[in-house]
Amino acid sequence: MEKKYGVYICKGCGIGEAVDVQKLIDQTASGARLPKESFKSHDALCSPEGIAMINTDIKNDGINAINIVACSQRSKVEEFDFPGCVQARTNIRELVAWSQPAMEEPTQALARDYAVMGVIKIQKGDLPEPGILENLNRTVLVVGGGMTGLSAALESARAGYDVILVEKEAQLGGWGAKIFKSFPMSYPFEGLIDSPVHAKIKEVQADSRIKIYTGTTIQKIDGQPGLYDVTLQTPAGEETLKAGAIVLAAGWKPYDATKLTRLGYGLPNVVTSVEFEEMAKTGKITRPSDGKPAKKVAFIQCAGSRDPEHLPYCSHFCCSTSLKQAKYVRELGGSDAIAMIFYKDIRTPGQSELFYKNMQNDPGVMLTKGDVTGISEAGSGKNLYVEAENTLLGEKVKTAADLVVLAIGVVPATAGPQQYLDGVAAAGAKGDEAKAKYIEETPKPEFLLNLGYKQGPEIPSMEGGFGFADSNFLCFQYETRRTGIYAAGCVRQPMTMAEAAEDAAGAAMKAVQVIEHVAKGIAVHPRAWDITFPDPMMTRCTSCKRCTEECPFGAIDEDAKGTPFYKINRCRRCGTCMGACPERIVSFKDYHVDMIGSMIKSVDVPEEGMTIIALACENDAYAALDTVGIRRKQQLNPAVRILPVRCLGSTNLVWVADAFSRGIDGLMLLGCKFGEDYQCHFVKGSELASYRFSKVQETLNRLQLEAERCQMLQVGIDDYAKLPEMIDAFVKNVEDKLGPNPFKGF
Amino acid sequence: MSERILNPDLGFVKEVISAGGESLKKCYQCATCSVVCNVTPEDKPFPRKEMIQAQWGLKDELFRNPDIWLCHQCSDCTANCPRGAKPGEVLNAIRKLSLQEFSVPGFLAKMVNKPVFLLLLLAIPAAILLASGAGVFPDGKVEFGKPGGFLFSLKYIDPLFTTVAVLALISLGLGIRKYWNAMSEGKPETNVPIGAAITETVKEILAHKRFDKCEVASARSIAHKLVFYSFMGLFVTTILAFIKVILEPQTGYLAYLGHPVAISESFITWLTVVFKIIGNASAAALIIGILLMMSNRVKNAAKAGLGSYYDWLFISLVAGLGITGLLAELLRLANTPAAYGMYLVHLCFVFFLFAYAPFSKMAHMFYRATAMVFEKKSGKA
Repeated sequence: MEKKYGVYICKGCGIGEAVDVQKLIDQTASGARLPKESFKSHDALCSPEGIAMINTDIKNDGINAINIVACSQRSKVEEFDFPGCVQARTNIRELVAWSQPAMEEPTQALARDYAVMGVIKIQKGDLPEPGILENLNRTVLVVGGGMTGLSAALESARAGYDVILVEKEAQLGGWGAKIFKSFPMSYPFEGLIDSPVHAKIKEVQADSRIKIYTGTTIQKIDGQPGLYDVTLQTPAGEETLKAGAIVLAAGWKPYDATKLTRLGYGLPNVVTSVEFEEMAKTGKITRPSDGKPAKKVAFIQCAGSRDPEHLPYCSHFCCSTSLKQAKYVRELGGSDAIAMIFYKDIRTPGQSELFYKNMQNDPGVMLTKGDVTGISEAGSGKNLYVEAENTLLGEKVKTAADLVVLAIGVVPATAGPQQYLDGVAAAGAKGDEAKAKYIEETPKPEFLLNLGYKQGPEIPSMEGGFGFADSNFLCFQYETRRTGIYAAGCVRQPMTMAEAAEDAAGAAMKAVQVIEHVAKGIAVHPRAWDITFPDPMMTRCTSCKRCTEECPFGAIDEDAKGTPFYKINRCRRCGTCMGACPERIVSFKDYHVDMIGSMIKSVDVPEEGMTIIALACENDAYAALDTVGIRRKQQLNPAVRILPVRCLGSTNLVWVADAFSRGIDGLMLLGCKFGEDYQCHFVKGSELASYRFSKVQETLNRLQLEAERCQMLQVGIDDYAKLPEMIDAFVKNVEDKLGPNPFKGF
Repeated sequence: MSERILNPDLGFVKEVISAGGESLKKCYQCATCSVVCNVTPEDKPFPRKEMIQAQWGLKDELFRNPDIWLCHQCSDCTANCPRGAKPGEVLNAIRKLSLQEFSVPGFLAKMVNKPVFLLLLLAIPAAILLASGAGVFPDGKVEFGKPGGFLFSLKYIDPLFTTVAVLALISLGLGIRKYWNAMSEGKPETNVPIGAAITETVKEILAHKRFDKCEVASARSIAHKLVFYSFMGLFVTTILAFIKVILEPQTGYLAYLGHPVAISESFITWLTVVFKIIGNASAAALIIGILLMMSNRVKNAAKAGLGSYYDWLFISLVAGLGITGLLAELLRLANTPAAYGMYLVHLCFVFFLFAYAPFSKMAHMFYRATAMVFEKKSGKA
């Protein structure tokens, strides 16, 4: 494509007062070797008049490569949208006008460097065309037929998509179909209701778009969004089908009560809340030991939950469940029946608080905080004693009960496979023999998805995630590390049926989104607008497999000969492969190694003073820098030129050489905080970058430079207040301790 | 700390609720009440623990404890409770139930606290008084206790009221003894002498020290002082008047019984003047105090709760007592025979207050004083 350039400089929002725009045009024209005729300025570029000016140029003069020199790329996205044009956004509002003193020489120099970099970006960039795969399937596969799965299936079907609903049990409904009654889910939160699952089952069965497979498990899932090959194990045998996206709604299991002997499990009159539902269904509350009516029923909350020995987390709905079951006692057990609830804290989030208040108001429901220390049999009558400490009724109390109900904790269906896979990995670290031994000795749990994925067959759990399915709970709660597969319901976190239905709707919408996006060749979260994709020059590939190892989303596989190939619909466009590749063959149309390298090299490096480059993660660090400008309280160090990168994982080591050989005094990497539990959208891009740059010593030594000139800072999006100081400290260290780069002026 | 056996009693929970503690179950044990309370001890403060004990129906724990009576129902707790559980009202209900538990005979306590029995209970004194000579309105100057004249002559009135007072005192004594024993059960003896504890308690009550710590209902302290001291004044008046009717040369008891004593007419006159002054001053204080109490209760109803039948019965009786007494006196001075009717009503109020004292809120002074003595004796305060 033959490019015709247009550089548009905005004078609004204080830019005109902070920067000499005419001078900026002259400087940028000479710096980027563009004729001055390519430049225009406007008092408010985002106004209808400003946009019209650009559109007129596009129409009349054939301008097709545009550098908008105005506000941050994070704002005015809809205004500055010119289809068919190669485009750059140069930020001289937040990073210059709003964070630098007006009309000073360093401020002007900063604006000049940014504007030139923007021009280089459109010079080096190309118009992207979406990469769309063929024979895409638009069916949503829902794994799990409980409240979450049923809701996800219905939501997807109502949005116009075919659904395959897979349930491993013979009946739909999951736990929701096994309970006697449900606690209320709407105002006034008083009486108990029939489980909402039954109505959902009917709706699902009546929906012609939903194909139901009961008694079925998933034997294998291969492929990528839009192109999944699913192998089912149905009662009739194997069946294969296609799917476009997947919702994992496999639900939960009660915690293994046999581990709760401390709370008396094993005694005939101690049951779990799940077992108590079965009893309530018979219409009578009795003691299992002799069938006599149970008049005094004790509920022990957090049975397994919030206990470092068992489940460290809160299981969320057990308090509501016990309050509901207390009502069973009051309604089925006669007017003299009492329910005693021993709790750590009553947790009835949201409007369930009203249900708690209503239940608490029942004189026969008696509550106390307390640590239950033991359940013992009182004698041959199988009567029980509940002993508790630190109660609101006294430091040590004991009370008789006919029946004890343990409010059992929630274990996600994903926990078993995760624990097994972690075990295999840990054993594997000790050697092949240990691994083989582990596999031989450990019973293999029931896997849910059996994915054909280099990174593992299931949705991974986060570090310290207790086996719950991976989730970016800060920004995109359904976002897992397996593109196109969305977790919902109790595999994500313990939740009530009402919450699960909502969660399912969210996951279903994400499944629909991925189907639509791959059909158009657009990425999904977080770059849900991006039609570029990594396009490697395979002739130069050495099959080193570094990209396949480092891709966080399993988007790169190897063929039989070991040559990498992309499953592009899995790709999130973070550019980690571009940063990883030692041959530098991976490029996006608007983002590649040469582009960023040239932008770095375009910076004007004066003899005097410091010139520093900062590569900033677009998701967190760059947003924090923008915030510094928006707050207009602090100044950013004028020595620092900030370049946004898709992810620090995309930073290529060659940029270090580019920067230092140019005479840049220091290089900063601003990226997300480390750790798998941290909410990096690209999993661990900054950690990868940090690892790569720890090897940079070699490069710097070759240039006879100090390693300290290159440093990585971990920055969260909320670190804006301290970020200017962090940057100042780095600049000062380079200036005071290391002095100017000796290559300056070469 | 020894292990305590809990015996949850649903029946008792329901009793507390129907006795005026209907907000009981709203409590979620945040303990704001115990924090804002100025009269609670630092160690094991009330009323938080009483609230949960009541929710679990732990009757014995509540009754065998001075705390329910150490509460002066300032209602700071009720005003500050985030859930509207009204601890002040609940404790009041529990106190009422504890009177039923300890007073002898217990059935009277139940009757006194039930509105359906009000007319019956009032009819008893009216019937006795009328039966003792109804309809005899003496001619001439209106004078209560005219010999040979109106029904309320010495022959009847004093023996009747003295008997009632003695019976009430015996009943109270028995009730208080039961309460004391219940509190002492299982608790270690202490070295604080009972005499000292009583002296301290009396001093504290006279000074209204605890009442003065109330915040929301701070005005109640003044009203309560007025009523309290007027009762003391009326007690003194009654004693002096009693001395007079015993000693009067011609018409006195001793004279009536044939053992007149030689006493100067001027002493009797002096005595009369003294108790008339004390009596009238007390009556004025009583009426002002009780009206203040009523207005305070109504004004603070939103914050502290309006109170129950148990409260209002007592307040109304005291108010009735004061007002009918005053009216009877005024009518007498006006020399209207209607004074006799008013006096009859007044005596009915007096009878009610005395005869049912062990069972009505009147008993609060004795039980509260006992709780305070016990608290001091056990070294808690």
